[in-house]
Amino acid sequence: MNSLKGFYRDYEPTILGTAFILLTLLLWQMIPLVMTLSKGMALFFTTPAQIVRTFFDLIEQGELQKHFYVSAVEFIVGLGLSIVVGLPLGIIVGRSPVLNALFDPFITAFNATPRLVFLPLILLWLGIGIWSKIVIVFIGALFPLLINTYEGVRNVDRVLVNVVRSFGANEWQIMKLVVLPNSLPYVVTGLRLAIGRAILGVVVGEFFGASEGLGFMIAMAAGSYLVDVVFVGVTLFMGISLILTMSVKMIESRLSRWRPEDVKTF
Amino acid sequence: MVKLNEVYQSYQRFVLGTASVIGFILLWQLLLTYIIPFNSFFITKPSLIAVAAKDLVSSGKLWHDLAVSSKAFVWGFTAAVLIGIPFGLVMGWRRRVEYALDPFLTALYASPLVALAPLLIVVFGVGLTGKAVLVFLLAVFPFIFNVFAGVKSTELLLINVVRSFGGKEKDLYFKVILPSTLPYIVAGARIAIGRGIVGIIVGEFYAASEGIGYSIALYGDTYRLPEMFVGIMLLMILAVLLTSGMRKLELTLAPWKVGQEGR
Amino acid sequence: MISYVRAENIKLTFRPKNRDPVTALDGFTFEAWRGEFLSLVGPSGCGKSTFLNVLLGLIKPDSGMLELDGQKITGPGLERAMVFQEFGLLPWRTVLANVELGLELKGIPASARRERSSELINLVGLTKFENHYPHELSGGMKQRVGLARALATDPDVLLMDEPFAALDAQTRDIMQMELLQIWDRTKKTVLFVTHSIEEAAYLSDRVIVMTARPGKTKSVIKIDLPRPRDYEMRLTSKFNGIKLKIWNALKEELVYRENLRES
Repeated sequence: MNSLKGFYRDYEPTILGTAFILLTLLLWQMIPLVMTLSKGMALFFTTPAQIVRTFFDLIEQGELQKHFYVSAVEFIVGLGLSIVVGLPLGIIVGRSPVLNALFDPFITAFNATPRLVFLPLILLWLGIGIWSKIVIVFIGALFPLLINTYEGVRNVDRVLVNVVRSFGANEWQIMKLVVLPNSLPYVVTGLRLAIGRAILGVVVGEFFGASEGLGFMIAMAAGSYLVDVVFVGVTLFMGISLILTMSVKMIESRLSRWRPEDVKTF
Repeated sequence: MVKLNEVYQSYQRFVLGTASVIGFILLWQLLLTYIIPFNSFFITKPSLIAVAAKDLVSSGKLWHDLAVSSKAFVWGFTAAVLIGIPFGLVMGWRRRVEYALDPFLTALYASPLVALAPLLIVVFGVGLTGKAVLVFLLAVFPFIFNVFAGVKSTELLLINVVRSFGGKEKDLYFKVILPSTLPYIVAGARIAIGRGIVGIIVGEFYAASEGIGYSIALYGDTYRLPEMFVGIMLLMILAVLLTSGMRKLELTLAPWKVGQEGR
Repeated sequence: MISYVRAENIKLTFRPKNRDPVTALDGFTFEAWRGEFLSLVGPSGCGKSTFLNVLLGLIKPDSGMLELDGQKITGPGLERAMVFQEFGLLPWRTVLANVELGLELKGIPASARRERSSELINLVGLTKFENHYPHELSGGMKQRVGLARALATDPDVLLMDEPFAALDAQTRDIMQMELLQIWDRTKKTVLFVTHSIEEAAYLSDRVIVMTARPGKTKSVIKIDLPRPRDYEMRLTSKFNGIKLKIWNALKEELVYRENLRES
């Protein structure tokens, strides 16, 4: 009995958390058993079991894979481009106070604005092919990366730079020995935020100007009242988002062990 | 002497920043007027944008669109504040509640809830309700999690101090937890505003008949680029004003937290 | 000499999650007389701070008897007040509002509170800083506010948990002398926990040396120096003799590092 109590005490968070989720799913599943839905409501209703069934159906038909592939390409290419552009730019802007001052109004303005508002413009320029989505993903992911990178570079302790310089290091060595290691945790945080924005970009881009992709699938399904398909899509996005952000969070905390407690950004 | 240096530096930043923006606008105007061939279906010039802005303002259309969008935003945002803050407080203070709700809410927060937008529009229709619900869903989570973090960050020492003077549960809430959490609430508001704006725009792009987002999409469809840019810039200005306003508020409410930055 | 604060056979074991239980106090017995200045000295982790928190009423012991002036101690109460090592001032309140905290919780109306608080702020010499915020004050000033706050409710027993440990050496010496002056004027019973033998010897009537964890009373040393005590007394050989007595009792409880000895 005592060991059971001990087990519960040690794993209480996981137990309670899982129990809550399972309970919610169970209650959801049971709703049609407990109440009869009006015709109107029944149209919009689905159950977890149904969602799972639809999931497998879609895989069998090959539908899910097709859309997933397109969204994945948009995500990876867009995110990749934002890393390739954002990191070096962040480092340069971070090291140079002049460039920092010049770019700051633009960066602040673009960062505060939901990148979404540019979507009609981008659709105008690039049509509804895959590139308009890639661009939306790109500008969504770019800013968290850029800003976090340059914060990391700017926040380098002046004392450390001077220490290394006093041992005769040149600009490049200073970068390697002090700036880059110091910035790494910031960059990874930026990456985590960028991933979230990138997924958002995929979703939203595909809602409004697309003929393929998971977001397109969701939008189409909603229009045809296929609520279970909608939930398959949403759950898929949720799952991928969780997996990616958790993995990055793990890397992040590994790398941040030496940092003092910062105010976190959600 | 150091003070003077600081003032000069921030002055310098301001000058450079302003020069940068003005330079950009000038460059844009000059390039399209003299160098690059101008295709009105593709791009527009600052001068045309300015004219369109004047027209939209004087006809009142701009304000009307803004009012429609703001209404839905305010409804959804207020709901998010009223529900998110208490949730965050309870989660932060009662550990069992935290254990039960945390995985579930984290999963929801991490997912692109905008993906539910089509469904919400279909269920709630194309008007105020659908948009407000979407705004609520997107804005509630930053509040929950920031308030939660705020409560957890309350110094145990201060709780013990108030308890040692005979403070009861309600004293702990009002005299320690709430003031200590206030800066976090404002930080949450700042993030929630951004997400809420996304909600409004998505809602209006998808299915609406009025509003800033709707207008931007419409102008895009009808190739009225100057008007579209006016809409985009209006949103940019609003977003910047709101978020920097929140940042200032954060700083005034929590002068003892000077030195901590959150993005 | 009236026995004023009594603890008999106090047992307390901490059971943190996922870690081995820690026995902080195992049959600790203790006696303080009315109006005396009593110090508790002991190696790190011996339970002296824990015991102070037990006296304050924030922690309940597993077993044992706790009495103040013949009444059992069951929780926090206004006859006991603590001055905390990390100050514990509410950062969002002014100095005045911080000092008022205990009175506020007692339900005392605002004007009476103000008067009493101002009086005490004057006693600790911070009248000019009544409307400042904690983050604007130095460490020594913050601790004076802590002292004023503890005295505001007019407790019978003042509990001080290494109150000067976070201060620099000079400020510490000054605060010690001021504390003695204030003690002389207010005639409280003071229980003072410290790591510093010098501090204990200088301030106290009696010093209790505790054993290593779990803490028990090892020896009780009477400080036979006249009052008022000035700084120069610390430089006399009599004072050194007293310090030696304390040290001899304490040193066996400390852990030596082998490689520091001369081989």
